[in-house]
Amino acid sequence: MPLRAFEETVLPHLDAAFNYARWLTKNSAEAEDVVQDACVRAMRFLSSMRDDDARAWLFAIVRNTFYSRVSRRANMAEAIPLDSAKDARPDVALDPEERLLQQHTVALVRAALEQLPVDFREVIVLREFEGLSYKEIAAVVRVPIGTVMSRLARGRERLMAVLKLTAPMETLR
Amino acid sequence: MSCEHVERDLDTYLDNELDAATAMDVRGHLNECAACHRRVAEREALGRLVRAAPYYSAPDRLRARVLAQTTRARSVRRLLTWAAAAVLFVSLGGGMSLWRSAVTHGDAMPDEVVDSHVRSLMASHLFDVESTDQHTVKPWFLGKLDFSPPVADLASIGFPLVGGRLDYIGGRPVAALVYQRQRHTINVFVSPVLNDVVTRANVQSLRGFHIHHWVHDRMSFWAVSDLNEAELTEFCKALEAS
Repeated sequence: MPLRAFEETVLPHLDAAFNYARWLTKNSAEAEDVVQDACVRAMRFLSSMRDDDARAWLFAIVRNTFYSRVSRRANMAEAIPLDSAKDARPDVALDPEERLLQQHTVALVRAALEQLPVDFREVIVLREFEGLSYKEIAAVVRVPIGTVMSRLARGRERLMAVLKLTAPMETLR
Repeated sequence: MSCEHVERDLDTYLDNELDAATAMDVRGHLNECAACHRRVAEREALGRLVRAAPYYSAPDRLRARVLAQTTRARSVRRLLTWAAAAVLFVSLGGGMSLWRSAVTHGDAMPDEVVDSHVRSLMASHLFDVESTDQHTVKPWFLGKLDFSPPVADLASIGFPLVGGRLDYIGGRPVAALVYQRQRHTINVFVSPVLNDVVTRANVQSLRGFHIHHWVHDRMSFWAVSDLNEAELTEFCKALEAS
């Protein structure tokens, strides 16, 4: 039964889908709408999914949903106000001073990531958070693997440049 | 391998996307070149930093909304199924008192009916009152239920009544009448219909059991058995006519 298949194969990846959407949109409410729309599409196109790639398949749908919304409301993606980071996981093992430094660093990294153009940001998110292979990222983003490589490299260079200006130097060693 | 090569392959190396031979070349170079070694270390540190950025988990309300969507989609489909079945029923002139539905019933009742049936067979709790006499079984329910189930003995056509039991289906107490056909047990669950629902009979199969449902004289009947469908239909028609 397709709906049961949906619940069994798509819902387990809801966190990943939301995280990806959240980094695409840079806005929590917007990300919720994107994921909800994406799930409606996913339900409709469930038959096009191969068993082994439910997560990458869902990412692709999230991405398409995001871009169709963007094209409907031009420039929306960059005009959205930033939310405060609520989900940063504080490391309880750190003493207060270190934790403060870490929170500061997390905020800097988050800001640096959000400043990146979305094309660079999304490949970094898919690679670093979700551990997708270049091949999987290429399938989600629909570009050649070479483009994935160059976007990752350029995105990281930019990130490094921004963080070198703002982050405490010792965090980069 | 030169520094330029390593710089070019930096990301693929760190992402484990380099072929084994090239990766070994990179490692060899890193052992000798302090500048490249530093660059790789810096890049690794960047990776750790990025992964320390927030991972946004789906809020509970989103999960609830998505789940509600699938439930809604399911009920819309059910509605369409029923509509299609209704059209079929009408197009057949409504002459059949029973009609067959290959699709699932719209609510949880068939599931509960099968569950109760299976439970009654497994737990050796088939009867609360064991009797082949309808005049014993019927009064037994008095005071235990707020209605009086019609109890018929169909022994004359080969479906002897063997007992009765109090059961719970759909969160309500129901009368369970137990009939036998050779070695097959038939459970008939009887409860009053609260509102004036349209009388509709329905036959279906679930988990290897046949289920008949009909409403007669403001009483709802669910008959369930592993008996073959033809004989169960015969039984139900006889019961309805009695």
